[in-house]
Amino acid sequence: MLESVFQALFTYRPVVFEQGAFRFDPSAGSYAAAVAGLGLAIAAFLTYRRVGGQSTPRARAVLFSLRLALIALVVFCLFRPVLVVKTAVPQQNVLAVLLDDSRSMQVRDWNEKPRGAFEEEQFGAPDRPLMKALSDKFLIRTFHFSSTAARMDPESGLTFAGTGTHLGAALDAARQELAGLPVAGMVLVSDGADTSEMALAPALLGLKAEKLPVYTVGVGQTHLAKDLQVDRVSAPPSVLVGNSLLVDVTLSHSGFAGETATVDVEDEGRIVGSEKVKLGADGAPATVRLRVTASEIGPRVFRFRAATLPGEVVTENNVRDTTIDVRGAREKILYYEGEPRFEMKFIRRAVADDKNLQLVALQRTADNKYLRLDIDGPDELAGGFPKTREELFAYRAIVLGSVEAGAFTGDQLRMIAEFVDKRGGGLLVLGGGRSFAQGNWAGTPVADALPVVVERAQAGEPPLMRLKVSPTREGAEHAVTQIAETQARSLKRWDELPQVTSVNLLTQVKPGATVLLEGKDERGRSQVVLASQRYGRGKTLAFAVQDSWIWQMHASIPLEDQTHENLWRQLLRWLVDGVPGAVDVRTSSDHVEPGEPVVVEATVADKTYNEVGDAKVTAHVTMPDGAVETVALALSGDRAGQYRGTFASHTAGRYEVKVEAERAGVALGSGVAHVQAGASTAEYFNVGMQVQTLRRIAEDTGGRYYDAGRVSGLAEDIRYGGRGVTTSEERDLWSLPIVFLLLIGLAFAEWGYRRQTGLA
Amino acid sequence: MRASRRWPRSAGAALVMAGLLLAVGVSLAAQQKKNTFGIVSDEEYTPDGSENKPYDGRLQFVRLSYPYGLSGVGRAGRVAPWAHDYPRGDAHFMQILTDLTMVRGRTGGSNTFPLSSPELTKFPFAYMSEPGFWRLTPEDAMGFRNYLLKGGFVIFDDFRGADWDNLQFQMHQVLPELRFIELTGREAIWHAFFEIPNPLVLPAPYGGLPVSYWGIFEGNDVNRRMLAIANVNNDISEYWEYSDQGFVPVDTSNEAYKYGVNYAIYALTH
Repeated sequence: MLESVFQALFTYRPVVFEQGAFRFDPSAGSYAAAVAGLGLAIAAFLTYRRVGGQSTPRARAVLFSLRLALIALVVFCLFRPVLVVKTAVPQQNVLAVLLDDSRSMQVRDWNEKPRGAFEEEQFGAPDRPLMKALSDKFLIRTFHFSSTAARMDPESGLTFAGTGTHLGAALDAARQELAGLPVAGMVLVSDGADTSEMALAPALLGLKAEKLPVYTVGVGQTHLAKDLQVDRVSAPPSVLVGNSLLVDVTLSHSGFAGETATVDVEDEGRIVGSEKVKLGADGAPATVRLRVTASEIGPRVFRFRAATLPGEVVTENNVRDTTIDVRGAREKILYYEGEPRFEMKFIRRAVADDKNLQLVALQRTADNKYLRLDIDGPDELAGGFPKTREELFAYRAIVLGSVEAGAFTGDQLRMIAEFVDKRGGGLLVLGGGRSFAQGNWAGTPVADALPVVVERAQAGEPPLMRLKVSPTREGAEHAVTQIAETQARSLKRWDELPQVTSVNLLTQVKPGATVLLEGKDERGRSQVVLASQRYGRGKTLAFAVQDSWIWQMHASIPLEDQTHENLWRQLLRWLVDGVPGAVDVRTSSDHVEPGEPVVVEATVADKTYNEVGDAKVTAHVTMPDGAVETVALALSGDRAGQYRGTFASHTAGRYEVKVEAERAGVALGSGVAHVQAGASTAEYFNVGMQVQTLRRIAEDTGGRYYDAGRVSGLAEDIRYGGRGVTTSEERDLWSLPIVFLLLIGLAFAEWGYRRQTGLA
Repeated sequence: MRASRRWPRSAGAALVMAGLLLAVGVSLAAQQKKNTFGIVSDEEYTPDGSENKPYDGRLQFVRLSYPYGLSGVGRAGRVAPWAHDYPRGDAHFMQILTDLTMVRGRTGGSNTFPLSSPELTKFPFAYMSEPGFWRLTPEDAMGFRNYLLKGGFVIFDDFRGADWDNLQFQMHQVLPELRFIELTGREAIWHAFFEIPNPLVLPAPYGGLPVSYWGIFEGNDVNRRMLAIANVNNDISEYWEYSDQGFVPVDTSNEAYKYGVNYAIYALTH
């Protein structure tokens, strides 16, 4: 509307005024007219000066000003003002038209038709309106694009079957194809929904360097009227087999406020869980937590599906897959207990049947006397607690029982802190008569790593607190504290458990810590029972209770009850989850399109977890057909010990990437990652038209953004874009309707004011 | 290693035995108890539980009480059979245990609980004296079964001869699926703190009858957790009780303590 008014008043499109250079083109008569104008102005001045009547000096000044403006405008026009613009020479310049051919163009939100219909109606044949307007002025090169761009075959046309949209790659490809030709610009027709993880900036930089403007045409609605989408699935990349995971699924929606969504989780096609969630206001995310048990070893594809709601425009974005590497490894945990006590016995019993946990116990029974349990050989821990990093870092987690800080050397205390910070292991400190403040841990490197503030020890026997333990709000939703099948049952079960005791009063936590369990004594005083935090690469937990075994032995606990076992299994499994190995492998994505390159990165460390910069690192990629391709990984230069390489996925299926590292012929370790190649549904996520992306492309390159409904001026704008083979043209300004209206307006204003002041 | 015999007692035999014990018991009822070494013990008495200390997280010596009927009177005198060697044996042992090891234990005395007491479950290490006199109620059987299977450990001590039959019979009521298995010295309990490769070296204070040690294991598998140990024809608590009075060589008393320390460390760690 605004554009139409502008063009009615100014004759030319805004681009002419933006691009054009202003100048006068006067003739000899122009100067005579200027003199005449001056004379008229003097005459007007004298006339108004003599006029008396009811007029005031102010009114006469206004009237003279209006007359002067009128005369000045006439003189201005007689000097023939013009805009000099560069105009593309017809049929001398190439114009690239890039048409989005991806799946998201099937979404029916353009005048109740698919987005692709706009492209077909405007560009489908040479006689279509926009195509004709452009081809009248330019030599058209049409490309279609999704993940890549290619010249369009008129026979096959658009299919809207592309499984990805890579705007940067498409612009790059078109620019390279047109290299050396006089190009007036590019027209990019798309919904702007880029599914690539690559940044747009490099592609835009290339266009700017070659001064190629991109005129973007946005098709579709920025928000769908009715849509439910699985936004995000937060699941760990790797877990131990048998682990019960709590996976957060975030939904977003439009048009379903107040309705209930059901989310199912499937393990390789079998439904293994379901939860409901009430949807809030439009745009507000809703999170639902699903419990998933990783029951089988190997890379498993878990599918999270939100049931379709009535009237949804797009249903393909109701599903997200995530691959979790379910490991069957036996994780080794070192448990150092400073005094013989039942807590150690019952924790060992709780995880004794867990084939994936090896709880190696170093039980101090007397000064310098140890009982070693579940060790791998006679040499293990023969000298007591490890004295070298190599020995300590072989474990994936450490549990410290009731043992005082003085039982360790200064170097051993630093080693424990480094075990978490640098090696990325888990550390759990249990309550007891020699733990925390009672064990003089304050001020040690280990205390620095803990999630709780360790106070200085007070003299005398520590007070005994009998605690009723319950989860905090964060704890109620944490995987560690789920002791029943559902969250509600878990909370009820916590409420039923008997009191336990603590001799460690923990009340303050570190800023980054999360309190999962708290306890209240008979007088209602509360304290921290279980808290966790990240510390460097690893995590630490503090558990203030000294006798969780009461949750097993107490008379109110049935013999067959598994609460105590489940709690400790979960806690220790969580402690070792995500602990990196010496060779830590990642891929650029766990899902790629067939043919898409996969970047493999591996961080390589030695047994003391110092990064290794001179290793020979090789990835063995097992293809879906069983063939193995070997890829050498080279130092990336980004981070110490980081190696990188790339392989191409050829066919759909699962790819196993096993990375092995060695130095001087000695193996340092290996790691595995998995990638799934197949058709992606990424096109259906965040499917609203991305106007910001399209505007950015246009503005960064000197082009212009158009809505699909207002593209009539596109051909004209490109013509005046000033790119390619151009010629200079003058555009008269004196004849603009706005000038005429101004003249009339000034004359009428003077006349009207004179009447008002009694001079007419 | 051999499994224990089952002892199905006939009702007649039990009746005869009860009559004899009753007769002897009545005649000796007024006598004070003499210990194995022939010394009259004035310090032993039968606690009523009022001296029990509340649970505070430390290891507490717990003595199991049980109904014993009239048959117990003869051997026990004024003191209930389950209270034999109480309180000196208990106190001496806990003192040695806390002195020798890192165990944080209570040394002021011991607690006594019946087998079905809910409080017993807070003390997963228990001691039973004179199990030959032990009579089991259905409540005790259920409570004791849960206690042991959940993670409790019990020492049976101070019995001889046919008492062993009664112990096996009663334990069969408690854990019918498990049986006593004779210990050889290779089991973990003999190496938990002190090395005791041959447990038979400790003689019984009674003398005469051959000593042996038997255990009940989860799944009847000696490689799994031991729930109970029986000092057959032995009385290590008797050594503890009089270890400060010079009735037996120090070395022998020390050996008796070693057994107790190993039992406790095993119970705390396995």
